[in-house]
Amino acid sequence: MKAGRAGLVAGGLVALLGFGVFWSATDGFTAFTAETARRAEILRSPRSLPAVALEDQDGRRFSLQDYRGRLLAVEFIYTRCTTICRSLGMAFRQVRERLPAQALGHEVALLSISFDAARDDPASLKAYGQAFGADGAHWRIARIHSPAEVAPLLAAFGVVVIPDGMGGFEHNAAIHLLGRDGKLTQISDIDQPVEFADRIASSL
Amino acid sequence: MNLHARISLGACYLFLATPVARSALEAAMSTHMLLQIPLLAAAGVLLARLLPVARQDALLTACGGALPLVVLALFASSYWMLPRALDAALGDPLTEAAKFISLPLLVGLPLALAWRQLTAIGRGFVWTNFISMLAVLGWLYIAAPVRVCNNYLVDEQGSTGWLMVKLALLLFAGWLGTLFVGGNVAPVAVPASSRDDARQANPA
Amino acid sequence: MANYTYEHTPDRGATAGVLAYLGTACAVLLLMMLVGLLMRLEQAQIIDLGANWFYELMTLHGAGMVGIAGIAGAAVMWHFLRQYVDLSPGIFLANLALFLVGVVMIIGSIVFGHFHAAWTFLYPMPSQSMGMWSQEAAALFMGGLLVIGVGFLLLHLDIARAIVARYGNFARALGWPQLFGHDDGNAPPPTVVASTMVTIVNIVGLVVGASILTMMLLNLYLPEFTIDAMLAKGMIYFFGHVFINATIYMAVIAVYEILPRYTQRPWKANKVFLASWSASTLMVMFIFPHHLLMDFAFPQWMLIMGHIIGYLNTVPILVVTGYGALMIVFRSGIRWDMASRLLFLSLFGWAAGAMPAFIDGTITVNYVMHNTLWVPGHFHTYLLLGMVAMVFGFIYYLGKPGQNAAEGWLDRAAFWGFSSGALGFTLSFLYAGKESVARRYAVHLPEWLPYDRVGSVFAALVVASSLLFVLRFFSRLGAAGRDYARAPLAQGAAA
Ligand code: HEM
Ligand SMILES: [Cu+2]
Repeated sequence: MKAGRAGLVAGGLVALLGFGVFWSATDGFTAFTAETARRAEILRSPRSLPAVALEDQDGRRFSLQDYRGRLLAVEFIYTRCTTICRSLGMAFRQVRERLPAQALGHEVALLSISFDAARDDPASLKAYGQAFGADGAHWRIARIHSPAEVAPLLAAFGVVVIPDGMGGFEHNAAIHLLGRDGKLTQISDIDQPVEFADRIASSL
Repeated sequence: MNLHARISLGACYLFLATPVARSALEAAMSTHMLLQIPLLAAAGVLLARLLPVARQDALLTACGGALPLVVLALFASSYWMLPRALDAALGDPLTEAAKFISLPLLVGLPLALAWRQLTAIGRGFVWTNFISMLAVLGWLYIAAPVRVCNNYLVDEQGSTGWLMVKLALLLFAGWLGTLFVGGNVAPVAVPASSRDDARQANPA
Repeated sequence: MANYTYEHTPDRGATAGVLAYLGTACAVLLLMMLVGLLMRLEQAQIIDLGANWFYELMTLHGAGMVGIAGIAGAAVMWHFLRQYVDLSPGIFLANLALFLVGVVMIIGSIVFGHFHAAWTFLYPMPSQSMGMWSQEAAALFMGGLLVIGVGFLLLHLDIARAIVARYGNFARALGWPQLFGHDDGNAPPPTVVASTMVTIVNIVGLVVGASILTMMLLNLYLPEFTIDAMLAKGMIYFFGHVFINATIYMAVIAVYEILPRYTQRPWKANKVFLASWSASTLMVMFIFPHHLLMDFAFPQWMLIMGHIIGYLNTVPILVVTGYGALMIVFRSGIRWDMASRLLFLSLFGWAAGAMPAFIDGTITVNYVMHNTLWVPGHFHTYLLLGMVAMVFGFIYYLGKPGQNAAEGWLDRAAFWGFSSGALGFTLSFLYAGKESVARRYAVHLPEWLPYDRVGSVFAALVVASSLLFVLRFFSRLGAAGRDYARAPLAQGAAA
């Protein structure tokens, strides 16, 4: 390569700059995917969530804000899912079993939210909950009442749902934790429910 | 001068930016990464080639020669191979705009300018490096243990990875193939560095 | 048929770059031979280093020897190719500089990091040291190989550029117009044909090698990204095989250039010669990658085919070269001196080394012989007695004080010491292999020890003779750089 000294210096500078850009764009070479980036960002700055009307497996209306003052674990599912949502259900069950029984419902609750508002009626929500042992009180299964509010809520959480071409959906799966102030404070991998529960227990 | 060509190039670029073309090319990971992004970079190459030669040379010298430009193109193109950047481009109009501007101006254009000055070794080095990096990137997408893009199905990353590997093989074969055809026999048998006593390669 | 007449090409001295290559290669060669001797002594249970030391030494020996074989081969090729095409001395030196950087990295990783996963760094060994070496040591080793690979890639790109500039394209440089059309006798000289072949296969090999090294380096730090073990092995072997074979194809240029000068007969780049070199190029380029890269779950028949073709691959060039050498020397009145003797010996060594490889390549034998000393037996024959002998012949030619300079008895004794020592050393490997003695660090039953001990004695003889060759060369470095006639006229040739 014909590069004079100026070229070498400029090349070095560009490389340095490039590294800098990569460093900041990947949070110091740790977050290469949007999913890891989302988790890192929430940890840095917890996020407020919109007030969205939810409807649980018994047809009761409520909103996320009703849980203020308690910790709330949230996961996103759709009940026909045969893959990742099953793992989510299993993970939630483990979280519930791991949490101190006396705190359940008073200091901490669990909530599975379906993003398939059109097809997941209360009956199918109920069936999903029963399949994983949700009691319908401390662990509720809900759907977003108005289809128009699905997108804003998912966007606030950073959950992306795309059709999988076979009538179902593919979506980034994780367990979310809302703080006592109602803000999204932590996102955790679904294969680490025990660690997730222990972190909650230690902050009770 | 070549007004006609410039207008066509501009039209093609604008066409790529239309919602129709964007949603068509961005619907699948493979067309996004292996069609839209290369096309945008190619627009930059054409843009450079449409500049007057004196202008190209002036730009080249102003930038400090081929080396910084190649490094620039390397970093800028790698950036858009990050799964996180792909997701961001889909979700955030500003990032999408950055993609449409940076690929022609920071990848295609600098590469085309640098190419003018690169020796055969430099070009070969860029090619071989690019081919090997493409293959390795393909493997990364194939071997990724998690879903890397929230906006694309998990199966797609495998098939896109395979496409990259195949493309790398094809490019390698093609590049080697070009070394087998064309070219002229040098009129002088004795190379410059060789002293006059060297044997004539082709006995008369 | 075309007519071939000999045209006298004056002998030229080596450039400082070529001498630096050869000096580096010779020094490392001696050192690595001593390391090899230590390993052989360990196998003979004369010394007791333990398994860790043995594997560290073996990794050092393997990587070092393959590296300097490449360096020495490149020196031979560059020296002679420069007569025909315009090569860049800067790139040539850059390769040596990168090589030295890589060597320092590799030595550091072995000596200070205790890396010992063999020079073939088979996946997933480097990342699974079980605490014996650190991630950094493995990264340093593979990074060192990568740096060396980049240097060679640059060198070959420069050679490719120079060849294309002179001959237009590779097809003409390989003599395809003469091969497939009328042989007008204007095919490029053998040196150019060989250099073209080496450049093509090494570029392919190095790109594949760089890819797998990058993948394994990434895997070291991102273990979730696993590599298909078969794919990794295929890629590593492809790269290793091509590179080590290419060292011989480079070094053999010394035979093509020097023997004609000694006999005043031309080395013919005729149709058969061109066909064999092109066939080998294509075999390496198309058949190997095809069966490695397209089918990841290697079916049995592909493995077998690949194996046989891998070995068959060396045969055409070997036969053509051996036959060509015999024809050139036969009744030529050649004067035998150290250079011509060593070159002739090298052809014997190459041929002898290919034979056991061929036997090993046939499947039924492979099951029995595969992990025995038969394997190092075969590759030491063609590397030590073939490749290294070519390089020794070349340095004797360069350092020869004058056309009719006489040789001391010491040199002549060293020649016989080297040939008998190398023969004995490799035969001790081969014989032990036939007796199913396992290679590397393994239990050697008492009844096998005699072979190991005899092998050690022969190895010591090789080391001593090589020491003399190398010292002689170093004492003649000044002369080696000057232009004057070295090749003696054959008896009966007109002056
Ligand atoms: C005095 C000369 C030499 C001696 C005593 C020697 C000795 C040895 C020994 C004992 C081994 C281990 C074999 C086994 O049990 O598997 C070995 C391996 C090897 N040697 Fe040599 N060697 C010599 C020269 C060479 C030369 C000239 C080359 C190449 C140019 C070479 C390349 C290798 C390679 C590639 C290995 C394989 C290492 C591995 O398995 O990873 N050796 N050598
Ligand atoms: Cu699901």
